[in-house]
Amino acid sequence: MYKVKIVVVCGSGVAMAMHAAYKLKEKLEAEKLSVHIDGSGNNELPGRIANYDIVVSNVQVTVETDKPVFNAIPLITGVGENELVEKIIAKVKEIQAEKGA
Amino acid sequence: MSNTEDTTLANFTIDEKLILVNESAESPEEIIRKLGALLFDNGFVKDSYTQAVLDREQVYPTGLQARMAGVAIPHTDTEHVLKPAIAIATLSKPITFQMMATPEEKVQVEIVIMLAVHDAKLVIPVLRKVIFILENDEALVAMKNATTKTEVKMAMLKHIESMNKKVK
Repeated sequence: MYKVKIVVVCGSGVAMAMHAAYKLKEKLEAEKLSVHIDGSGNNELPGRIANYDIVVSNVQVTVETDKPVFNAIPLITGVGENELVEKIIAKVKEIQAEKGA
Repeated sequence: MSNTEDTTLANFTIDEKLILVNESAESPEEIIRKLGALLFDNGFVKDSYTQAVLDREQVYPTGLQARMAGVAIPHTDTEHVLKPAIAIATLSKPITFQMMATPEEKVQVEIVIMLAVHDAKLVIPVLRKVIFILENDEALVAMKNATTKTEVKMAMLKHIESMNKKVK
C-alpha cells in the first residue's frame, strides 16, 4: 500500500503544526490508512513540499503548488473537524488509487 | 495546586501573576503589550518578546473561532523566551483579531492566551493540552464568566487535568 505523505504547516512549524499533525495522525490511523505525517514551518515548505502528497496548513501557504492544500484550523478549534478529516481521508484514498495501491 | 507539585505541567508556569480578568483593550496590539509586560516583569521573557509577538501576529495572525468563544493565541519564536509560561486575559468587550490561516477573515476575541515557549519539543505535551482548551466548551465558558484571576487559573488547570489521560 502506498504511504501517503502529508505535511502540516504552521508559522514556525513546531507547536501548532505538531498539535494538528498529532490529531490528524490519530484520526487517519483509526481508519487504518497508510500515511506519514510531518510538521513544517512555512518558510521551510518550498524546499520540502516536493516530498509530500498533501499539504494541511494553519497559515496561508505562500509557495505555489498544484498539490491539494487543506486548512488545518478545524483540527485546532474542533469546529468542522469531522468534515475536514473526511475530505482528507477521501483525498488519501484517491491518491492511493492513483498510485496503483 | 502549585506548579512545583504538579509534575504534569513540566515547569510550565500558569500563575495568577500572569492573568488579567475583564481587561479592557481596544486592539490586539494593546492586549498583547499588556500580557507581554506581565511576562517580562515576571522574568519569563526577554525584552524583545513583545515586539516579536506583535510582528508575528502581522504575518501569522492567531485569532481562532472556537465553539464557545473567540480565542487568540499570540506567540513567537523560542529565542525571545527565558522560561515557559502562558499569560491569559479575558476581555470586558471583544477585540477584533485576524483569523489564523485566513487573515482576510475577522474574529471577535474574548480570551487571549499568550504562549511563551522556550523549547517547543520539551513543552509540546503541555502546550497541546493548553491548545485543546479550544475544544473544551465547559472550560471556555468558565473562563469567559470568571470574575477573578483564581477562577481563570482554575478553569485552565482543571482543563489540563482533564487532558492528562488523553495527551501524553
